Amino acid sequence: MADSTLPIGGAIDLTPQSEVYGTWLEQVHDWVVTADHKKIGLMYMAYALIFLLVGGVEAILLRIQLAVPHNNFLSPEVFNRIFTMHGTTMVFLMGMPLIIGFGNYLVPLMIGARDMAFPRLNAFSFWMTSLGGLFLYYSFIGGVGLQGAGSAPDVTWWAYAPLTERAFSRGHSTDYWALALIISGFGTIGAAVNIIATTLCMRCKGMTLFRMPLLVWLNLVVAGMILITISPLTAAQIMLVIDRYLGGHFFDSQAGGSPVVWNHFFWIFGHPEVYVLVLPAFAIANEIIPVFSRKAIFGYPAMVAASVGIGLISLSVWAHHMFTVGMNSASNAFFVLSTGMVGVPTGIKIFNWLATMWGGKIRFATPMLFCNAFLIQFLFAGLTGIMLSVAPWNWQLHNSYFVVAHFHYVLVGAIVFCFPGGFYYWYPKMTGRMLDERLGKWHFWLFVVGFHMTFDFMHVPGLLGMPRSIYTYEPGRGWDGWNMIVSIGGAVQAVATLIFVYNLVHSYFKGAEAGPDPWDAWTLEWTTTSPPPAYNFASEPVVSSRRPLWDLKHPEDPDSRYE
Amino acid sequence: MDDPHENPGVSKEIVELPAPTAWPLVLALGLTFTLAGLVTNPGMSILGGVLVLAGCVGWFREVLPHQHHLAVPVKVQKLEFTTIRTKIARIQVDESHRARLPVHTPSVTAGVKGGIAGGAAMIVPALLYGLIRYHSIWYAVNLLGGAGVAGWSNPTAAELTHFRLSALIFATIIHVAGSLLVGLLYGAMLPMLPRHPILLGGIIAPLLWTGVLHATLGLINPFLDERIDWWWFVASQVTFGLVAGWVVAQQTHIYTEQFLPFAARMGLETPGLMEEHDREDGPK
Repeated sequence: MADSTLPIGGAIDLTPQSEVYGTWLEQVHDWVVTADHKKIGLMYMAYALIFLLVGGVEAILLRIQLAVPHNNFLSPEVFNRIFTMHGTTMVFLMGMPLIIGFGNYLVPLMIGARDMAFPRLNAFSFWMTSLGGLFLYYSFIGGVGLQGAGSAPDVTWWAYAPLTERAFSRGHSTDYWALALIISGFGTIGAAVNIIATTLCMRCKGMTLFRMPLLVWLNLVVAGMILITISPLTAAQIMLVIDRYLGGHFFDSQAGGSPVVWNHFFWIFGHPEVYVLVLPAFAIANEIIPVFSRKAIFGYPAMVAASVGIGLISLSVWAHHMFTVGMNSASNAFFVLSTGMVGVPTGIKIFNWLATMWGGKIRFATPMLFCNAFLIQFLFAGLTGIMLSVAPWNWQLHNSYFVVAHFHYVLVGAIVFCFPGGFYYWYPKMTGRMLDERLGKWHFWLFVVGFHMTFDFMHVPGLLGMPRSIYTYEPGRGWDGWNMIVSIGGAVQAVATLIFVYNLVHSYFKGAEAGPDPWDAWTLEWTTTSPPPAYNFASEPVVSSRRPLWDLKHPEDPDSRYE
Repeated sequence: MDDPHENPGVSKEIVELPAPTAWPLVLALGLTFTLAGLVTNPGMSILGGVLVLAGCVGWFREVLPHQHHLAVPVKVQKLEFTTIRTKIARIQVDESHRARLPVHTPSVTAGVKGGIAGGAAMIVPALLYGLIRYHSIWYAVNLLGGAGVAGWSNPTAAELTHFRLSALIFATIIHVAGSLLVGLLYGAMLPMLPRHPILLGGIIAPLLWTGVLHATLGLINPFLDERIDWWWFVASQVTFGLVAGWVVAQQTHIYTEQFLPFAARMGLETPGLMEEHDREDGPK
């Protein structure tokens, strides 16, 4: 029951819907030529969701193959292609576009800006990213493999040299992989430049750095990390193309090159990439947990410092993926320590989220459920990460299914929980309609059950010695039952994901009207209509605290009095 | 929630937004086709090159000499927002509410100074141990510094008694860094236990630290574990702590931040416990 109704200097577009929407063709044209950050953000998200389904189908195919020993559901060659495409898809075509899509949509709205700093670059970045993905999948048709048949890349998503050299990877499948990632990489770099420029230059009056929502802070950190980490990857891809096309020998050990150089280049990108994907998940939790706990985030300055700290430390941990390549003891010790250090700022965040919830008036709506599950899962994932960061332990379990379980626990446990939470939270803002709560709870509980069936039990065959990347295995090694449970869990997750997709489509047409502020939230995006007009805000907002909408709703007790 | 579409008081304004453009798409297609030609057909690269050229020219014309804008007519009105939050219940607290929190504490820099002094003092028992037990002051130095010397694996007790420059350098780095960091940690912990710095630093912390190390060093570094005399180790730690604690006790105390509103320090919104800006009469 509301106890106050307060005016706010906002704006809405009152143009009738019939005037907004033209013919179907006009609508398509409108989206293709748009420079509006919201439409571009939504296109990123739609693109990511499509590839989530594609990558998910690939995961199911892999799990069917591994459900029982000596299975012939997929041939070894097809298994390798699906395996490579699953990893590449989930990291580059689902994860990255999803985080950039949310950043694109929310950052300008949260800092009171009308658009991104470079709207045309924004459109260019999206098209580069999307064309990179389409080009990669065209390899199923156009990629000429060893047998002369159409084939997709089959060198795994980390593509270790010298497997990728011409002598071992004939045809063009590996080229498709390298070129596609170069293309999408340029799009990603463009998006990062845009987010940095927007955050630093486009903030509204009163929006100092330490009044920015934590989501914006984390997107800023992530954009900085992208600039640092995508560049080595793109450089390595170009070196690989030179090796394959121009007779270079960067990674050819027989001609003076070094495959370990690839390892370094790839993992200088690859491990920070985990944080590039996970920090935006943190960002979503930072917004959802306080609103559904009815308390301001605990320790805002510490959260900012921890985010920046994670960003910096994560740039110095890459070689913990390489403990088994034969580095010297000093290098091993350095990367053990630096990896362990990441746990400190991450721990600060977890404690602060708990402290935010402590004593709060918690509402367990679907977004909050997803964020709560994320908290628990990320804690477990962090603990197995600390285990793997210890070199002797890593030597025993490297390239086993324990590692696969660990990083899926991190990525799925964080991203595939927080981002759906983010969809349930901001979908009303994006579409003007609420997602169905009942379907949301079905989605959540099925996904939790499926996730834990799959990834909890996946640790066990790893501990029992099951190597990663194998396409089948002998019976009687103690892996059989575990693999069956893992595969059934995958199917449960697939059902949950289909419910989510159905909910997204169904609620767009049939969902309840959301209104501008359905969650009684506090940040600027909720001060405009749902969906926001093209110009976001008719006049530039002025803020005087981290929770401007709180101040407007509670003039008797505004945050600005305490900040 | 009120429907803002029903609200009266509408006024009209114009907002300029970036004009929609297809040139970024054309340029992206051009670059993709150019690279795709490497694995498909050279004609694809030629087409890509043409599109890149067209995309660049089109894009430049879009922004030079002036960016194209789209004038969007908007209708502005006041929005109204409601809150589902019930009335705030302010907690009544008396004057003694924060009495048990320390008002004064040594500063963090006092901890650092204590760390430096303690680090210097603990060298004495460490060297004394080497001298008494192995007749060499270098034993403890080599034991500490050997961890950082690549290639010096499992030295014998006799080897540890001889001077080794690299071990001395590493031991110095480890000892100085360790003393400073422990001092810093000590300084940061002092506001929690500000009244008995010598007890905290001299007895409790060394015993806790030695206990943790004794329990785990056998797993982390069995070689080092075998060569440590734990009674002398405790003596060194206690020396460090007592000297550090004494130095800290001599330093000037400063006000803690406890008198500041908790929300101001931690971003926590706690109605009723916060003091307001107009109260500028300092700590109570």
